[in-house]
Amino acid sequence: MADPQDPRPDKDAKVPALSRRSFLKGAGGVAAATGVLQGAVQATPQEGRAATLSGTVELELTINGQAKKVTCEPRTTLLSALRDRVEPALTGAKPVCDMGSCGACTVMVDGKPTYSCLTLAVQCKGKEVTTVEGFGTPENMSDVQEAFCAKDGMMCGFCTPGFVVATHACLDRNPDADLDEIKFELSGNLCRCGTYPHVFDAVQAAQAARKAGGQDR
Amino acid sequence: MSSKGNTSGADPSWGKRSDLEVLNRDIRRVDGPDKATGRAVYTHDVRLPNMLHAAVLMHPVPRADIRTMDISAAEALPGVVYVLRVKEDGKDVQYSGDDAVLAVVAAESPEAAMDGVRAIVVDAENKEPVVSTERAKEPDAPLVARRRRATSNITSRRARGEEDAVKAALEASAAMVEMEIEIPVQHHVCLEPHGHVVDPGGEGENATVYASTQAVSGMSGAFAGKGMLNRKASEIRALTPHMGGGFGAKFGPGLEGRLAAQIARATGRPVHLVLSRSNEFTMGGNRSGSKQSLKLGADKTGKFTAIHVVAERHGGFGGGAFPGAPYRYAVPSVFVDTMSVKTATDSSRAMRAPGHPQASFGMESVVDQIAYALKMDPVDVRKKNLTADTHHRQLDRVAQEIGWNDHPNRTAPGTPKNGRAVGIGFGVAGWSPGGRDCQCDVTVHPDGSVISATATQDLGTGARTYVAAIVAEELGLTVDQVTPRIGDSDLPPSVASGGSVTTGSSAPAIKDAAHKMREALEAKLEPVLQAPVGGYIWTGGRVHSEEDPTNSLAWTEVCALLRDPLQVSGRFQKSLYEGRIHGVQAAKVEVDTMTGRVKVLKMVAMQDQGLPLNRMALRSQINGGMIQALSYGLLERRVFDESDGYLLSDNLDLYKIAGAQEMPEMVAIIDDEDERDSVCGMAEAPIIPGQSAIANAIYNACGARLTRMPFTPDNVLEAIHGEV
Ligand code: FES
Ligand code: FES
Repeated sequence: MADPQDPRPDKDAKVPALSRRSFLKGAGGVAAATGVLQGAVQATPQEGRAATLSGTVELELTINGQAKKVTCEPRTTLLSALRDRVEPALTGAKPVCDMGSCGACTVMVDGKPTYSCLTLAVQCKGKEVTTVEGFGTPENMSDVQEAFCAKDGMMCGFCTPGFVVATHACLDRNPDADLDEIKFELSGNLCRCGTYPHVFDAVQAAQAARKAGGQDR
Repeated sequence: MSSKGNTSGADPSWGKRSDLEVLNRDIRRVDGPDKATGRAVYTHDVRLPNMLHAAVLMHPVPRADIRTMDISAAEALPGVVYVLRVKEDGKDVQYSGDDAVLAVVAAESPEAAMDGVRAIVVDAENKEPVVSTERAKEPDAPLVARRRRATSNITSRRARGEEDAVKAALEASAAMVEMEIEIPVQHHVCLEPHGHVVDPGGEGENATVYASTQAVSGMSGAFAGKGMLNRKASEIRALTPHMGGGFGAKFGPGLEGRLAAQIARATGRPVHLVLSRSNEFTMGGNRSGSKQSLKLGADKTGKFTAIHVVAERHGGFGGGAFPGAPYRYAVPSVFVDTMSVKTATDSSRAMRAPGHPQASFGMESVVDQIAYALKMDPVDVRKKNLTADTHHRQLDRVAQEIGWNDHPNRTAPGTPKNGRAVGIGFGVAGWSPGGRDCQCDVTVHPDGSVISATATQDLGTGARTYVAAIVAEELGLTVDQVTPRIGDSDLPPSVASGGSVTTGSSAPAIKDAAHKMREALEAKLEPVLQAPVGGYIWTGGRVHSEEDPTNSLAWTEVCALLRDPLQVSGRFQKSLYEGRIHGVQAAKVEVDTMTGRVKVLKMVAMQDQGLPLNRMALRSQINGGMIQALSYGLLERRVFDESDGYLLSDNLDLYKIAGAQEMPEMVAIIDDEDERDSVCGMAEAPIIPGQSAIANAIYNACGARLTRMPFTPDNVLEAIHGEV
């Protein structure tokens, strides 16, 4: 096993071949799914076992500039594909609400900030996906990542990848955003630790650095 | 550290502030680059070979008899590997929370695990849910309290003080205010939910548990027992490299940890069990709600005479928290009657200053109201009844920063102009952060590398950074020359992070170890630099003898004197810690009296804590406290469907937390007049008074007294116009 101090998704590790993917179909499955309703509801599947539809899709996605083969299902979200189906796993985008409320899963798709929990992997065929890992590495951070470190735009850091991607998007779209516009641009991301003021500082620091002749990265 | 006053040979001390070269400055978080680039691995991100993904089936309503549960369809699904039945047929569900977990499905992928959950067929008879405290208090309500011989859902009732004397004192007071306060249940909403990855290890191997926990030191033992991994604690290693928020909700393994362990044991495979957001809202804990009836009296100079408080704790199946009364202020004559009202809902847990924000909201509301009743300045009235000088100077400074001294309505609320009104309000805080035994090892290698190791965890506070920075300060190095190692139960034991105890415990132990290392190195230097232990100055990556600064060595030369790595162990030292802190907050708001919308324009917080280890991380913590209080005050409310018992607010759309657009201008002031030569944690204090300050600001703006949280437009309009 990999060094337990470094539980990074291990690229050499053998992941079990994903078995035939399947999903529930029709009334039997749905009745089973909602079998726990109020009152004394007796929910019996119409068949002995939940009926299934099966299907795997072989996809080629362009992730952080690299072509990646992904085996998934039609229902697999981009978030799930990144975290659980590409090798090595890209776990920078976080699953937090899984319904488009928090922005922790934000990635760029063709340069647009996108909630990867609300996007199907199959929709991203032929598009450029950029995750937080694609913007920089600890050794070579993007200007935005650098600004987040300089201004302490993070505490627990679980929301931070989403904010970093959203900030890149904000600065691409509106390089001169004033504070109110920055707040608007980042309003799709939630942070429970309460890093917002330092995140705003970081965005402004990155803006200032770009103005002072820093390179767009 | 270059201080002559802090020569080694003496007991360790933090030293003169002006001599510090690393601490008491803005230090970048050492794990910042990992966090900002997505490299930091949280428990949720751990991917191990052959790992199973688990998903949880919960009964959706609080009370039910589970007649039968058929898991056969789930077991037969492709990809499903193991289904763990948690509730046997014929058992009941007693409350919405971990008791509602019916089964866990472990599968080859997260999607297959969810398929398995959906394929389980449950035949249950649901019972009256008892989710509201009003219903729970009625004599014919079903009993949810599990106590033997319980006859009511009202438990742990305790009164203190002479009620008749207090009533008489209130009646004799120049002014008396009465208030009914209602505070809903709040959730922690850690962005990383509760969860673990449990790797049982192969034949003859140790087990490894990745845990999103506030207590990595205790985790090996907690996973050792029979219902868990059934192994010796020494054969289990717990790791918390990073964790996505705790706020008091994440101590032991919880039911989710136990179930992950059981599946890992049964399958022999690593199991990833992290709660879904809906599971997390249902069973991940909460801050108890509160209902308070308060009466406060004051004489005509504004001095408080007596207080009468009857308070209910709404902690669901648990007891809830409430620290009593009077909160923070001195009142000579006190009667307090407290009780828990049990409902069939998830037990409250510790949450950042358990009970204190609730008590603050009640107390600060009556304190504020009585000031206006006496036509006095609420800041003056606070000062008349607060005994700590620190609070007085902080009130003055915060009042100045928020613009109170130029504010028009200081002794009476304002009136709206064109439907809008601006007001300012205040609240105070205090906390007694703990300091307990804790250990740290510092190792210096002949190649110059330095390792500082203690089994603490970084909840986002910046703990990892000071584990390095304290050693760097002592040895005259930069922070990046010291490698911090934390988040590993194999490291020297540390404390569970609760009650702001982490910094007060671990920082002294790190300092002690660093100090011992400095002395050990100085003993080796004696023959080379000819000064005795205690006769050296360590600064700028060099050491020189105090007598003769030209007699010096570079850090690498010092380390080259070592033949083997040199290791020392430090322990918590009481003399380096003091656990008493104060804070004051103010809020400036704009109230739209037509729509009931409240916009917070500015918040100011001031906080003391002894020596600030890292000023930037400290401001982050103070901001975080203000923001969580703002969110609590304006937005947060757990909502159950009272007739059927469904938790309606089990997602981040319906349970609102503050976002970028709600952010006011924020000023975090570190109280630099506090020159104590000590450290302690501080994170609880700044979450205590913010919502109180906001409510007081609303009153100051327009004369509407918000007694029910959160201050949503409906509650604000009701406060302005009366019940509509
Ligand atoms: S996880 Fe995608 S928006 Fe929250
Ligand atoms: S830093 Fe913890 S949630 Fe944002």
